[in-house]
Amino acid sequence: MRKVAIYGKGGIGKSTTTQNTVAALAEMGKKVMVVGCDPKADSTRLLLGGLAQRTVLDTLRDEGEEVDLDDIRRIGFGNTYCTESGGPEPGVGCAGRGIITSINLLEQLGAYKESIGLDYVFYDVLGDVVCGGFAMPIREGKAQEIYIVCSGEMMAMYAANNICKGIVKFANAGGVRLGGIICNSRKVDNEREMIEELARQLGTQMIHFVPRDNDVQRAEINRKTVIHWKPTCPQADEYRNLAKAMDANRMFVIPKPLEMSALEKLLMDFGLAEELGQDADATPAEIDLAAATPANTLACD
Amino acid sequence: MSADTSAVTNMTASLNILQKPAALPSYVSTRNACKLCAPLGASLVFRGIEGAVPFLHGSQGCATYMRRYIISHFREPMDIAASGFSESSAIFGGGENLRRGLQNVTAQYKPSMIGVATTCLCETIGEDVAAMVREYQEAQIDLPTPQLVHVSTPSYSGTHVDGFHAAVRSVVATLATPEPEPSHHVNLLPGMVSAADIRYLKEIAEDFELSSIVLPDYSETLDGPALDAYEKIPAGGTPIQGIRSAAGARASIEFGRSIRQRDTAAAFLESTFGVRAHRLGLPIGINETDRFFSTLKDIADRPVPRQHEMERERLIDSYVDGHKYVFGKRAIVYGEEDLVVGLAALLAEIGIIPVLCASGGKSGALRQSIAEVAPSSPGVTEVCDYTDFMSIGEKAKLLKPDLLIGNSKGYGIARDLGIPLVRVGFPIHDRIGGQRILHLGYRGTQQLFDRIVNALLEHKQQTSEIGYSYM
Repeated sequence: MRKVAIYGKGGIGKSTTTQNTVAALAEMGKKVMVVGCDPKADSTRLLLGGLAQRTVLDTLRDEGEEVDLDDIRRIGFGNTYCTESGGPEPGVGCAGRGIITSINLLEQLGAYKESIGLDYVFYDVLGDVVCGGFAMPIREGKAQEIYIVCSGEMMAMYAANNICKGIVKFANAGGVRLGGIICNSRKVDNEREMIEELARQLGTQMIHFVPRDNDVQRAEINRKTVIHWKPTCPQADEYRNLAKAMDANRMFVIPKPLEMSALEKLLMDFGLAEELGQDADATPAEIDLAAATPANTLACD
Repeated sequence: MSADTSAVTNMTASLNILQKPAALPSYVSTRNACKLCAPLGASLVFRGIEGAVPFLHGSQGCATYMRRYIISHFREPMDIAASGFSESSAIFGGGENLRRGLQNVTAQYKPSMIGVATTCLCETIGEDVAAMVREYQEAQIDLPTPQLVHVSTPSYSGTHVDGFHAAVRSVVATLATPEPEPSHHVNLLPGMVSAADIRYLKEIAEDFELSSIVLPDYSETLDGPALDAYEKIPAGGTPIQGIRSAAGARASIEFGRSIRQRDTAAAFLESTFGVRAHRLGLPIGINETDRFFSTLKDIADRPVPRQHEMERERLIDSYVDGHKYVFGKRAIVYGEEDLVVGLAALLAEIGIIPVLCASGGKSGALRQSIAEVAPSSPGVTEVCDYTDFMSIGEKAKLLKPDLLIGNSKGYGIARDLGIPLVRVGFPIHDRIGGQRILHLGYRGTQQLFDRIVNALLEHKQQTSEIGYSYM
């Protein structure tokens, strides 16, 4: 069983990417469980066709310790298992402690037992690793491989770098490794090249570039993954390719987080490449060159 | 892995020895803290208010620990309610537990006040206890509800003394109301002193014919009579009406040099209601007690009553009588910062060198305060705040003191060194009568002085090869 955690800046598309990838893995015949680790409990909506799920923590609160696995685990698209940790209402209590309690309970109830025959467990984690609780999925050998969803926007890259610091912290003790960066495109200039370079500097890979496509939004309105809603559309193939890349992935590393200055430079080199090219009244050929190999072109700055 | 690390450490250590004298490690964690939990101080304050019940918002174990400490010092029953955090309260917030707990305590104790102190757990998860308490009180507006007072007491950012002063300030800030007619009483805010000290302060005020409100007053609630039937809330304590009238008092007298710059109850009453604040050191030793009596003399506009003058004169006479036994002796004092300052003042007067003044507190004012009251021993007095008993013990081995003065928690150090421990402060867990130790004023200083001299005499007598019966 491979245990995967998906991290990334809030709103970057972790839940959407996770569920579409899981749907593709299920389509490939894999047995997958998704553990939503966000107090909002919206990590399995597309697989389940709506937010119909009672969370682990709500169940624990209402029913006490006498919880049955079937109370908190639902079957979603492609016979995936879906659970949501849940958590307190905004501004109250301690969501981090909720994640810890919830994951411990799932273990106690045997959700990961070998007899279930899971090929994959996916932890879909809220945004940044803000405290010990949100690091729970990568502690104590729970998730072994991490994928960071990122885009070419500064704050997304900054968050990705910060998450890498968290991974380094737990990599030595718990054996967790970074499997790669998933670029969920926001149509930023030179996005693919920039994230490839970020991945290279972190010591990892960009495992897939997911282009922006409104079919994702349409599928979400229908409470479905793209794979489920329109299996023949090009975007469904993108998620299938991501799933295949993950399934075949053998590159698991302890990342090397960047200094802030290196991160800023990366953004300058790639994000402003075309603008700088135009300012200098360059010929179209030079602009193309700048766009194609921005790092080399501006390295001497 | 750990073997590798220690090998590296050892190598580094030996290299250091080669290059320069071995440096002390730059950071060691607290080992046997010379302080107690902040809500413990707050609980004592609430226990010293008439009809009040202390209530901790947090785990039940917090209340149990503090009850144990207080019970074995005072040898009196001590109820502290707790909202009893469970795992789900830690996750979803403890608001519901707090509401149910307040209802239960109201029903079972029928208190006139519930003092809600926070604990580390509820502070760490960011509970908005002030808002919860306010909402609860507003929702119960038509029902008979006790007065609620909330104080924030995270122990990781303060000591029991900080919790104590914060609770006194919260009680005053919540209850004090502007009075149409000024009262003629004096607010006495002594800080964390013994039950005997509180009784004595009230007696002094009476002798000056000053009406006074002592806050808190656990002189009866934590040192009361043997009763046939258990009182859920023992009789005694500062009357709530008295605390309300604090805003119209003639003046406040607050003890504690370490808190003079802090936003205390006296500071609040002065800045909000214009009540003159006299912020003095704990009156231990003749000089500090003279300052206290001089303040009372000014406020009451009458001379120091004769019986107190006589106590002062007898104290001076005893200083002369006992001088040959104590002069030049070396002592380590530890405990609450202001108690340590007071004891340093006394030692400086009687010729004992306070070679180490140690406290777990970190007001930042300890060094300066000691310099003010014990100016005769600069350079020989080491002052350590924010320290622990392991560090005190390590220093004690090098300093070779003749005696220790402090609470029971230092007994192990005294035993190791084979020197006497004069017990003062809190907690006294290995003797009876900790609550009846008098520390303050001429009378308290007299008792401390006699005990210090006698401890030295007894030690000398016991360690002598000859059984002298005449010392």
